[in-house]
Amino acid sequence: MSAPRVGIIGIGQSAFKARRDDASYPDLVREAVNQALTGAGLGLDDIEAIVYSLSPDAMVGIGNAERLGVDAVGGRNKRFLRINTGGATGISSVAAAYYHIAAGACDVVMTAGADKVGECGDSQTVLNKIWDPTYERPLPLGTITMLAMSGIRYADKYGMTQEDMARVVVKNRRHASLNPNAHLRKEVTVDEVMASRCISWPIKLMDCCPQSSGGGAMVLASEKYIKQNRLDAVWITGVGHCSETYYLGDRMGRGFTADHADAYALRNSFQRAYKMAGITDPRKQVDVAELYAPFSNTEYHSIEAADLADPGGAVAGVNEGRFSIGGQIPVNASGGTLCTNAIAVTAMIRVAEVALQVSGRAGGHQVKGARIGIASGNGGDHQFFGTMVVEA
Amino acid sequence: MTLNRRTAVIGSAIMAPVADEARSLEELLFDVSQAAMKDAGLTADEIDGIVVASNDQFDGRAIAVMAASGSVGGVDRDILSTPSASEHAFVMGVLRVASGQYETHLVVSWSPVEASSLSEAQRLGADPYFHRALPLDELSGAALQASAVLAARPEAADLAKRLSARNRANGKQAYPGVAEEGSGAAATAGRWPIEKDMVSPPVLGAVAMVIASEDCVARRGLDNVAWVRGMGWATEPGFLGDRDLSTAPALEEAARRAYAEAGLSDPRKALDVVELTDVSPYQELLAYDALGLSGKSKWRDDVLSGVFDRGGDLPVNPSGGVAAINPVFCTGLIRIAEAARQVQGKAGRHQIDNARTALGHAASGFAMMYQTVLVLGQNKDGALA
Repeated sequence: MSAPRVGIIGIGQSAFKARRDDASYPDLVREAVNQALTGAGLGLDDIEAIVYSLSPDAMVGIGNAERLGVDAVGGRNKRFLRINTGGATGISSVAAAYYHIAAGACDVVMTAGADKVGECGDSQTVLNKIWDPTYERPLPLGTITMLAMSGIRYADKYGMTQEDMARVVVKNRRHASLNPNAHLRKEVTVDEVMASRCISWPIKLMDCCPQSSGGGAMVLASEKYIKQNRLDAVWITGVGHCSETYYLGDRMGRGFTADHADAYALRNSFQRAYKMAGITDPRKQVDVAELYAPFSNTEYHSIEAADLADPGGAVAGVNEGRFSIGGQIPVNASGGTLCTNAIAVTAMIRVAEVALQVSGRAGGHQVKGARIGIASGNGGDHQFFGTMVVEA
Repeated sequence: MTLNRRTAVIGSAIMAPVADEARSLEELLFDVSQAAMKDAGLTADEIDGIVVASNDQFDGRAIAVMAASGSVGGVDRDILSTPSASEHAFVMGVLRVASGQYETHLVVSWSPVEASSLSEAQRLGADPYFHRALPLDELSGAALQASAVLAARPEAADLAKRLSARNRANGKQAYPGVAEEGSGAAATAGRWPIEKDMVSPPVLGAVAMVIASEDCVARRGLDNVAWVRGMGWATEPGFLGDRDLSTAPALEEAARRAYAEAGLSDPRKALDVVELTDVSPYQELLAYDALGLSGKSKWRDDVLSGVFDRGGDLPVNPSGGVAAINPVFCTGLIRIAEAARQVQGKAGRHQIDNARTALGHAASGFAMMYQTVLVLGQNKDGALA
């Protein structure tokens, strides 16, 4: 059976910063909710159900912190649940909201959340706790060291250099300079990236995303509701998810189940979303992409997993400007995760930014004529992948 | 609003309490997932999507769902996670199958006891400025709720003792040797007015359920499934001070929605068996009222007449419920699984004869903050009363 069409009718996002001392955690959620409702021309009473977007509890220091967000999203006595797939949480939450409507349970659903990563102390200390307590935590693994290993493998397999990594930073910072909501907006040069201190070889400071604070919210509605109320909308036409193994050791050494250089589950997730949306040639059909890449090297395998380039071909594409604003398929025109990472909503912002692009409302970082966009989110230890196709 | 496509529970497995300490979490989750799929007659390859519910604080892991990925057959498959409550995983599974994009779903949850103090783990869920310092854990929240019920209906004290004894007896009958009468007394501190023997100690447990679309049920020729006739879920606000704990408006809302979807107007007539999530017997009384099973003014008559006893007109918690076996985080999903197994005639020693329509109620968070109601039936369609 074919699912009913689901549209995006409201988007809210904070101007992300390192700290938001002026706003409590629920305040940040409400800030985004108010923006999304204003954009949709709706009030809290119009929202039938809420999908709360929050990744590790420890990041906000409160167990099941979604409970403290219930009033911030107007959830009292409404249908409410929380999604957590790590860094993919935001896009998984949009997908969960989508399923509320596609199932016929609701006409109008909001997904919302916030994070205060910049105020959590140290996100890597928290994220070390995602791993097996006996074998992997003591290494010590963090998400940076995990993806540094992916970078080394990718460099060995495809010939990526550290300068190639730096060029992703240069591109995304230039994009972020055009986006008032981005956290890191200062343009940088390849030399500056290369000179920044090493965090986990080959990843240097400027190859890393920041720890951001801010909120995000989106309102989704059924086609029937959108038509009845004559609302502006863009449409979610493809939704996919796919997971990898938990243990990093399963992606390395002899007999690995997946190559840590690549992102095979992200590729499969994109294939599912593309199939649903009827996209057969993404390099020709996709106009803009927001791909979850918290470290410069991971943007390369994400571009390839989205089939916007052949395996190993993304490096040349970035160097040629193919994925810059003004190029054939701008990737992370907002500056992406590399310039803003409030983990609970980062992957939601990927969908939101694509929605803004295909509706022609992305402002200074608008990609001209964008009609079809794709978004992705990665969570866990490069384990949970969510993807989406959004069309005007 | 009726869902776009019918869904049904076609298999389930409940493992609680788990006494085998040699089994790792991964092995337990593998075993419970395999058992549910075997019960459904499916292999892992026939599962389209998976929803997992776990609690980071109880597990001592950030993003606790990660560790389940391989065990539940999630590699190269589609996994979502609902850490808000185990029962929310079921809700999400039903919605995803009803959307038409999936034919089958595996829903899995568990609750460990390795944390040095589950009370402390729960206390992390209290807001850090006001409630955490009290200190507030889930039993304290239940006790505040019980005292509010008691203040509104003083007869609740006697009724709570009666219900507590009944649930323990049901548990002993349903799971002999596992849920022994009074087993919780020594291990659990009471919180007035909840007495020590009214609650059971936390135990390790896991539960898995398989949901399928009506097309899948028809294609496979399945004739013994529990159809999801109605589903409602709702939340209270996060701060206990914002609530009147002697009422359960979110449960009323969840029930209203589930009953409307099921076309059910008189739950006392329509239902054959009920599985409630009641950390204390006071919560059970509150649920009677909110579910329309027995108004507050009728509590005494109904409870003392035995209408909700195992041999009564509408048996409640023939399994013994939470008072008998309490894997804290996944206990809500277990109630839904127990209700489904009653409808399928698979409830074992505590099977209620001719249980054609069952209600599964789940509650989570402080003082039943999250409320979920499932009406499950043998028949896909038809009047329920």
